[in-house]
Amino acid sequence: MSIIVLQLFIAGRTPRTEHAIATLRQLIELRLTGYPCELVIVDVLTDPQQAEERHILATPTLIKVAPLPQRRIIGDLADADGLLAALSLPSLPLA
Amino acid sequence: MEYVDLIPVLSAESDARLQAVANTSTDGMLIVDVDGRVRFVNPAAEGLLRRRAVDLIGQIFGLPIVISEAAEISLIQADGKLIATEMRTAAIVWERMPAQMIVLRDLTEQRRTQEALRDAEGFSRAILNSLTQHIAVLDESGTIILANDAWRQFAIENGDPQLTTTGVGANYFAVCAESRGENADEASDVLQGMRRVLQGEIPVFELEYPCNSPGEDRWFQLRAVPLHGQRRGLVISHMNITDQRRNAQDAAESAALREQLLARERELVAIGSLSSAERRPAGLAYVQRNDLPIRGSQFRLFQEYVASYTELLEMVVDERGFAVKNTDVPVRALASRLGALHASARDVVEIHLSSLRTCSVGAASSRQQAYLEEGRVLLLQLMGYLVAYYRDDLVG
Repeated sequence: MSIIVLQLFIAGRTPRTEHAIATLRQLIELRLTGYPCELVIVDVLTDPQQAEERHILATPTLIKVAPLPQRRIIGDLADADGLLAALSLPSLPLA
Repeated sequence: MEYVDLIPVLSAESDARLQAVANTSTDGMLIVDVDGRVRFVNPAAEGLLRRRAVDLIGQIFGLPIVISEAAEISLIQADGKLIATEMRTAAIVWERMPAQMIVLRDLTEQRRTQEALRDAEGFSRAILNSLTQHIAVLDESGTIILANDAWRQFAIENGDPQLTTTGVGANYFAVCAESRGENADEASDVLQGMRRVLQGEIPVFELEYPCNSPGEDRWFQLRAVPLHGQRRGLVISHMNITDQRRNAQDAAESAALREQLLARERELVAIGSLSSAERRPAGLAYVQRNDLPIRGSQFRLFQEYVASYTELLEMVVDERGFAVKNTDVPVRALASRLGALHASARDVVEIHLSSLRTCSVGAASSRQQAYLEEGRVLLLQLMGYLVAYYRDDLVG
């Protein structure tokens, strides 16, 4: 499988966004073990240009940039299984 | 017509009905397809995003994920401004395809209200913490649900450093009920008083009690009043009233001293009257050629004598407790000056009283007492020298 590129758009560092980032990192570490993975975090408050270029309408937005097809999800990012399903990513069972 | 042929018609009708409802909703509504692409936008959603429906339709908003009932997201408006919204979703069929209905509710006003409430709570707490009285709020079971800084500080400094018995969460009723030793009776009264206030039998319960620390005798006043509002409870305050009690005690002592002073004044005035012309002893009548009191006839001199006498009085009071007093010479000198003016006993009494009044103004009660006692001795001493002066004059 090619590299998995995830892009997370957040608005400032709040407990909620920190929690979303932690969930994603855990998901990459535990559920996508063995896949090359890249997580890019974009704060729309400090980098509004990127948000505009990608037509981001809300935060938090998570985009699976690669592999194609691109998927974009919005809302609660705390559910690992839901995320994997929504992003059409393979899910490895927890050891 | 077959049912299959009716499906597009029914579906279109269903979509139209949904659209009609959505267009009247004050909540923002978006319909996205399985790719998260916008298929429908109601006017409220246009307003929330500050974008026209024609610019949004076809754009990818994203697939909504909501774990519980609602998720909180921030919408990015066309001008880049962020707006907090609550997002709810429902799976629907739109244009005969599976889709997601996204309902967005603006949280700005709710946030503002919450912030105002937090500010108000913070303000109330700041006021509470600014008070020097030790204040705690108890619920109806006696559990401390709030305490101000003064309450906590006092508890920490007076035997409850971990706030285990007097901090938030502790039961104040139980603390009073379990109190043993010398404060047990007062604690029992306090418990009873608090319960009576809680039951509405009395509007307020107050108790003054000693609370001595190793280095200081202290008095406190406990006050329990009902908590006004929706919750039943009590507001307990402890106020340090040591100063008030000390002042009250001083005032009572001063009043008693003033009464003593007045009594002495009356006695001395009576003595002065006895020494007036009608009742004057024959020997003194000879030398007392001036019947008018000095205060009335030579006021400036009278003031000078009062000042001299006051100086002597201050001296004897300052030297109180020391065995040797060096007042003989100045008292004798004053007696001689008075004798030269043919002063009477009444004059001496008036000088003494005037001086006592001057000295006592603003003096502590202990010093006032000293003026009274030492003044009495000084007066007798001056009288004695004056009599000696006249006797010598008579003999001479």
